[in-house]
Amino acid sequence: MDKQLCVLPCNGLDKSLGVIARAVALNLIEKKPDFNLICPVLLNTGDEKYESNLRESRTIVIDGCMTRCATKLIEERNQKIYKRIFIPDMSKKLKIKPGTSLKLSENAKKLAEMIAKGFIEELKVSEKEDIVIVAKTERMDFFDITVDKFYFQVPKEGYFFNENDCWIKPDSNRALIGITDYLQNQSSDIMFVELPEIGQEIEQFDDVGSFESVKTVLQLISPGSGKIVAVNKALEEHPEWMNQDCYQQGWFAELELKDFEEDKELLMDGPEYFEYMKEKILKEKELLDKEKED
Amino acid sequence: MSKSYDAEKETFMGIPRKQIPWWPTINYEKCDFCMECDKFCPHNVYAKNNDEKQQLIVKNPYNCVVFCRACAKTCAPDALSFPDKRETTNLIKKLRSENK
Ligand code: SF4
Ligand code: SF4
Repeated sequence: MDKQLCVLPCNGLDKSLGVIARAVALNLIEKKPDFNLICPVLLNTGDEKYESNLRESRTIVIDGCMTRCATKLIEERNQKIYKRIFIPDMSKKLKIKPGTSLKLSENAKKLAEMIAKGFIEELKVSEKEDIVIVAKTERMDFFDITVDKFYFQVPKEGYFFNENDCWIKPDSNRALIGITDYLQNQSSDIMFVELPEIGQEIEQFDDVGSFESVKTVLQLISPGSGKIVAVNKALEEHPEWMNQDCYQQGWFAELELKDFEEDKELLMDGPEYFEYMKEKILKEKELLDKEKED
Repeated sequence: MSKSYDAEKETFMGIPRKQIPWWPTINYEKCDFCMECDKFCPHNVYAKNNDEKQQLIVKNPYNCVVFCRACAKTCAPDALSFPDKRETTNLIKKLRSENK
């Protein structure tokens, strides 16, 4: 990888988490002077140098809170996020409380340093990993329904579903998992995915990862139990596949199944899920129409 | 959409929603009332409260989507917890077999 790296922190001045995001960025730049630091405020004014920096580089965003200001700045520009640092996650992982002070406390300083240090280590590892694109495409039959301008499909066979709108497609002792058209529609254009780790043991209904759009952040809740044996790394480059082809190219992870017969007790098949989804969509439409009337 | 949600009539996996005890619990020792979770949840589960010591409460527990724990991600002090997933799954299985 020879692309330049940009660092874009949210820089939230009115929240301790934003102040830490800024401190992480400064720590990264100190350790890696060849990274380009981008000021979100200046970027927001449309600064041409920053805009072209972003177009030509890979961007690391640092968000302090779920408002995700840094992420949104990238998404608004239709650019891709290369890596993201989310301060609440890191604070939990490193077991350092961020505190509420708007000035950088000793704890916050330590947290920012450790995040930056860990991130650079991680970057070294991920630069070595090859991106494997596994496209598993085959012809399928779907149930479908159109509501307003939205079109929803559900595969007729081979897939099972939970009520959290995620699918599992078993194939002997392995299975792919992903999100349904309903969830894909709920989130609109997916810009960023957070995949699980390979080797992780998953119970049925554990959350195995998340995906985000400008609108929201959603989780994938696993319909099955087992061990993660593969993840769709290609989604990091092409998160839009989850919108365009959520049942095939947009698969999220692969499980080595533990006891699918047992998992199946709490799952629906294609026809059952289609009915469930249809009812949900129509109910939401009814409520929405009512709200409009009011 | 979430405003008119009627928990009384809702079911999850064929079980009345009210029979499934799934919602977040706030640890007031850890919570700093940043309200990030409330801002995040689209289902109107949380509410602001006038009590200085409990400025945030779980007002509509049954609006919470069973197995969702998305708002926990927003909470840096790790003040939110959820029921045991396996216990919940077993309970749902039990209730489903009783209903058959
Ligand atoms: S996000 Fe956490 S700390 Fe903030 S109000 Fe919610 S429970 Fe409290
Ligand atoms: S778990 Fe999900 S539905 Fe429940 S309160 Fe949190 S965000 Fe809302």
